[in-house]
Amino acid sequence: MDGQQELPAGKGEHPFQHQGAVELLVFNFLLILTILTIWLFKNHRVRFLHETGGAMLYGLLMGLILRYATAPTDVQSGTVYECGKLAFGPATLLVNVTDHVYEYKYKREISQHNVGPHQGNAILEKMTFDPEIFFNVLLPPIIFHAGYSLKKRHFFQNLGSILTYAFLGTAISCVVIGLIMYGFVKAMVSAGQLRKGDFHFTDCLYFGSLMSATDPVTVLAIFHELHVDPDLYTLLFGESVLNDAVAIVLTHSISIYSPKDNPNAFDAAAFFQSAGNFLGIFAGSFAMGSAYAVITALLTKFTKLHELPLLETGLFFLLSWSAFLSAEAAGLTGIVAVLFCGVTQAHYTYNNLSSDSKMRTKQLFEFMNFLAENVIFCYMGLALFTFQNHIFNALFILGAFLAVFVARACNIYPLSFLLNLGRRRRTPWSFQHMMMFSGLRGAVAFALAIRDTESPPKQMVFTTTLLLVFFTVWVFGGGTTPMLSWLRIRVGVDLEEDQKEEPASHQEANNLGKNTTRAESAWLFRMWYGFDHKYLKPILTHAGPPLTTTLPEWCGPLSRLLTSPQAYGERLKEDDADCIVSQDELAMSYQEQSPSAGSPPARPGLGLDRSPSPPTPPNKENIYEGDLGLGGFELKLGPTPGPPPLN
Amino acid sequence: MEPDGDAARLGLGRAARTLPPRLLLLPLLPLLLGRGLRVVAAASSSGAAAEDSSAMEELATEKEAEESHRQDSVSLLTFILLLTLTILTIWLFKHRRVRFLHETGLAMIYGLIVGVILRYGTPATSGHDKSLSCTQEDRAFSTLLVNVSGKFFEYTLKGEISPGKINSVEQNDMLRKVTFDPEVFFNILLPPIIFHAGYSLKKRHFFRNLGSILAYAFLGTAVSCFIIGNLMYGVVKLMKIVGQLSDKFYYTDCLFFGAIISATDPVTVLAIFNELHADVDLYALLFGESVLNDAVAIVLSSSIVAYQPAGLNTHAFDAAAFFKSVGIFLGIFSGSFTMGAVTGVVTALVTKFTKLHCFPLLETALFFLMSWSTFLLAEACGFTGVVAVLFCGITQAHYTYNNLSVESRSRTKQLFEVLHFLAENFIFSYMGLALFTFQKHVFSPVFIIGAFVAIFLGRAAHVYPLSFFLNLGRRHKIGWNFQHMMMFSGLRGAMAFALAIRDTASYARQMMFTTTLLIVFFTVWIVGGGTTPMLSWLNIRVGVEEPLEEDQNEHRWLYFRVGVDPDQDPPPSNDSFQVLQGDGPDSAGGNRTKQESAWLFRLWYSFDHNYLKPILTHSGPPLTTTLPACCGLLARCLTSPQVYDNQEPLREEDSDFILTEGDLTLTYGDSTVTANGSSGSHTASTSLEGSRRTKSSSEEVLERDLGMGDQKVSSRGTRLVFPLEDNA
Repeated sequence: MDGQQELPAGKGEHPFQHQGAVELLVFNFLLILTILTIWLFKNHRVRFLHETGGAMLYGLLMGLILRYATAPTDVQSGTVYECGKLAFGPATLLVNVTDHVYEYKYKREISQHNVGPHQGNAILEKMTFDPEIFFNVLLPPIIFHAGYSLKKRHFFQNLGSILTYAFLGTAISCVVIGLIMYGFVKAMVSAGQLRKGDFHFTDCLYFGSLMSATDPVTVLAIFHELHVDPDLYTLLFGESVLNDAVAIVLTHSISIYSPKDNPNAFDAAAFFQSAGNFLGIFAGSFAMGSAYAVITALLTKFTKLHELPLLETGLFFLLSWSAFLSAEAAGLTGIVAVLFCGVTQAHYTYNNLSSDSKMRTKQLFEFMNFLAENVIFCYMGLALFTFQNHIFNALFILGAFLAVFVARACNIYPLSFLLNLGRRRRTPWSFQHMMMFSGLRGAVAFALAIRDTESPPKQMVFTTTLLLVFFTVWVFGGGTTPMLSWLRIRVGVDLEEDQKEEPASHQEANNLGKNTTRAESAWLFRMWYGFDHKYLKPILTHAGPPLTTTLPEWCGPLSRLLTSPQAYGERLKEDDADCIVSQDELAMSYQEQSPSAGSPPARPGLGLDRSPSPPTPPNKENIYEGDLGLGGFELKLGPTPGPPPLN
Repeated sequence: MEPDGDAARLGLGRAARTLPPRLLLLPLLPLLLGRGLRVVAAASSSGAAAEDSSAMEELATEKEAEESHRQDSVSLLTFILLLTLTILTIWLFKHRRVRFLHETGLAMIYGLIVGVILRYGTPATSGHDKSLSCTQEDRAFSTLLVNVSGKFFEYTLKGEISPGKINSVEQNDMLRKVTFDPEVFFNILLPPIIFHAGYSLKKRHFFRNLGSILAYAFLGTAVSCFIIGNLMYGVVKLMKIVGQLSDKFYYTDCLFFGAIISATDPVTVLAIFNELHADVDLYALLFGESVLNDAVAIVLSSSIVAYQPAGLNTHAFDAAAFFKSVGIFLGIFSGSFTMGAVTGVVTALVTKFTKLHCFPLLETALFFLMSWSTFLLAEACGFTGVVAVLFCGITQAHYTYNNLSVESRSRTKQLFEVLHFLAENFIFSYMGLALFTFQKHVFSPVFIIGAFVAIFLGRAAHVYPLSFFLNLGRRHKIGWNFQHMMMFSGLRGAMAFALAIRDTASYARQMMFTTTLLIVFFTVWIVGGGTTPMLSWLNIRVGVEEPLEEDQNEHRWLYFRVGVDPDQDPPPSNDSFQVLQGDGPDSAGGNRTKQESAWLFRLWYSFDHNYLKPILTHSGPPLTTTLPACCGLLARCLTSPQVYDNQEPLREEDSDFILTEGDLTLTYGDSTVTANGSSGSHTASTSLEGSRRTKSSSEEVLERDLGMGDQKVSSRGTRLVFPLEDNA
């Protein structure tokens, strides 16, 4: 055709070709800047600003620049086209513009009052991600990593408390926030700030549920660095991880709560439907996640894939991702599936991996977690200015702050009281205060809030969530260190020290009967431990007693099939010692370097350790340390723990 | 390129594909109203009535959205399960030492199978037409807001479609889902592959053969492009006479085909070489050629596309347009090169002057982000991101790598290795899938046969003459068997495919795509499978066992020391030796070891050693000695303190050096790698007999730097332990 017509079209198209490049570049630079700043902070041992806080700060600055320093560019892009004959929104739109046919893809529906902001600044528009990205791309690695690096020993010891905080606590906090917010909404209506009927009770509950997802990354990072009491750490970490899962499912169930006639009246049928939905989705996602992890564990156990760490890592990654996708495809919640997949992978598959793959997978997910987390926080900063439909309502925001604190208090103190009735090792007041204090909000709350910003109430919720996240991350995050010292919480609990006590007690325990050492653990834990040790571990990993001894007679062939030859080997050698070894294994951490074939050089000391004499402390320390599954940079610090300045 | 980043991008791609809400009405309806704007709704149907009460519709819309998200997940899941299957089969093959089928070939086979199932196992959906009316506009916007009976929908521009194709918008929903936007390949999948290639170039042999590699890559690709183009033009003429050609096919199209098909990608062959330890020079030649080849082919094809003569006949030869294309080629190539090199240098400087190596995670993240930025920056500036990323990878490996902490080194290597592995297998399984799911194939037997002949002739016409000329200049001649092997290894792979799928709008391009696909299949399966027999038939030295080489090197290491040996980049801590004897890179001994290297290499080497290395890394002689006196200040501030330190306390440095080495060794070989206490304890014990370990540790350095697959690394790991024990 004639080149003249072609040229303008070609030029017009040019920007599309590199669509995204510039925006991504901006994020990249922000992250690079964040990394350098963080390095500077770490180098100078400044602890009041965590990297996520830094990322938010930079995002905020960038948002400010983008908002006020860029001119509206494509004025016409906001023109609304009327299309009388189009009665629905098709997936693909072919538009014929003077003989050039362009293909348009459906992006989303915009509600009427939001059309305005779309007319104008194309840069702001471009810097806005599709909210689904958070759920499909950024959150999964974060959540998986959280599951993959749960400190197993302490986690299982505190299982009961953690589950209580996560399930009951979240439910309580959701209801309390919902109720308080409903009160404020009523007040706003009477104050004339809000039209009646705009903000339903379900919206309040929705806000409550998304606000219940706590995410104390900042606090946890500091805890880790200062070696705070592992029990407190586990409680907080376990709670926050499971919390997220509960909050996500809860939010989903609330959003589908739709009574038949009056959308705001209580309807028992709809309520039970929602509750059933909650249970169904949660259980389904849990099953899906664990199923994939079990498959991975079996695959890695029965193939000799550990000869090729690259393939092993690839397999691990792909199967974990499949858990997410399968759950999504089945209509469940991928994030929850991925969380439990991570926990199960860490508990079983990890033991079957070659040492190289262990490191690789850990580092891979750690890296992905780091990037995704910082991207999200950076985007939060950015969104404060680039998101175009903010609704700032002072009363609502104030109410939200109040509600969040009250709800956190209603969740921690009563539950801790109840739990203390049952726990032998009580959760002291200082821990409770600290848990109360660490109710930070983070990525999950943000992602849930940004998912739906169509209606004004949802936009108000989003704005408020954003502000809450900022406030909690900066203020609470920054105040962690002073708070710790003020509450006189034990810091610098050297893991080694902790460790030394443990093995010794275990030795005795073995002589007396192992239950005595677990004095503090609940029956739930003991039951689970017995089952896990006798059946699951032998089936899924190379460790544990051979199944032939634990399973009843009639499934003999099956158990022979499932037991790995190594299990017999150990068994035959020294029955007692074996028991001790696997005992340590559990105590030490879920992953002592299990005797996977093919990595003999990896275990310099094990041959000796297997003798009934107490294992040599240095070796165990290493194993233990290696197991924490936390940041490599922290590990580096470990050997030279600068005594925390607090004491 | 990039892991999570990669995941992030992937996700972008994925989310972008997330589908529309309601849609399911039928394929298209052309209708035109208004003056200029015609809206055609292409909808795939599922027989939903479109006009209904709004509440019902709302619900339906939500359901649709959910449904389509679910389908997206399913299609992605398909790929992931394919990859999982591939991994397991590969393990089986490797376990049984079956070498005739490489993992990429296998991925393609599985892809094919799934493609067949999807094609013939899923029902095609069809729909009916409906007309719409709209207002007018005369240019295309990136976003479009459409008001449909009170509701506003936002649309984003996807691309321009040639008018003839409107009716062929895919009808089968499932097939459409598994078809990716071709840009995904360029923006997400290729960058990690290419970066990894650059990052793992065997440096010593690469630089030694630099001249030959460049000749093959640039001249060779150009020659092959022209020969293939001309031959294909002949074939096209023939087809016209026979009447098999149903649409236009210009000379530029032929050249374009020549350019895309010149990108060789002998992954399969290289993997086998690596496994069998084939001759390193041959390996370096092939690998280097294939890597640079890709870069040249990309830029070449884009400059051929840019060739637009001014006159009426747009496909006649026009000197001005031709030179403009050449200019574009040079501009893009050098621009991308500069961009890649510059970011590499920036990363090197940042890692050199900050103490980021205390925090390997931050370091790795920085490394990753900087490398990714290269890509984005190049794309944003209109250069070719993939090329920039390649050179960035090379620069990073050459300089930044030396500044990284030990842990980051292994992290970055492993990270990119995993990404590379996944991306590569993904592309190959997509290729298998595309043979059946792509809906616009044009199979033309004459063209395909012509193409097969042309690529072999093109390959021959480039390998043999160029080798002849190069042999005139080389001291270390390229033997006939090497030439035959190079000729034989002209596999086509991911790059040719990605280039071909990028534009499948016209008839000619579709035919090219189909042909490219078949060529890739053929070469990967047949040629790839025949590598082992071919190697033995050509009597090419295999099993050049590393130990042998090590012994050899060891002597050299002992007597000549690193400074003069281009063997590898000395890691930072190494420079004690370097400084010791490295001051005289042109000393007699130095020259003798690299007899075989060309002057180009020597020139580059001394420049690199005297200026670049000291500026960008902690190694090399202090700048103050190499730079002229006038820039003393600059030199002082650029030289890292370590370099000075290295000079005096040799003894301590020595053991210190060994310590790090030990660490390194363990990192690869051992299980207790996590950089915590345990490796520390090893190192501690190692340091005691430090001096005696020099030998083995230097071997290690050498080996480690080769930067190849970890299969090797892990086997080395075990080997490694022995010297350790011996000394103890």
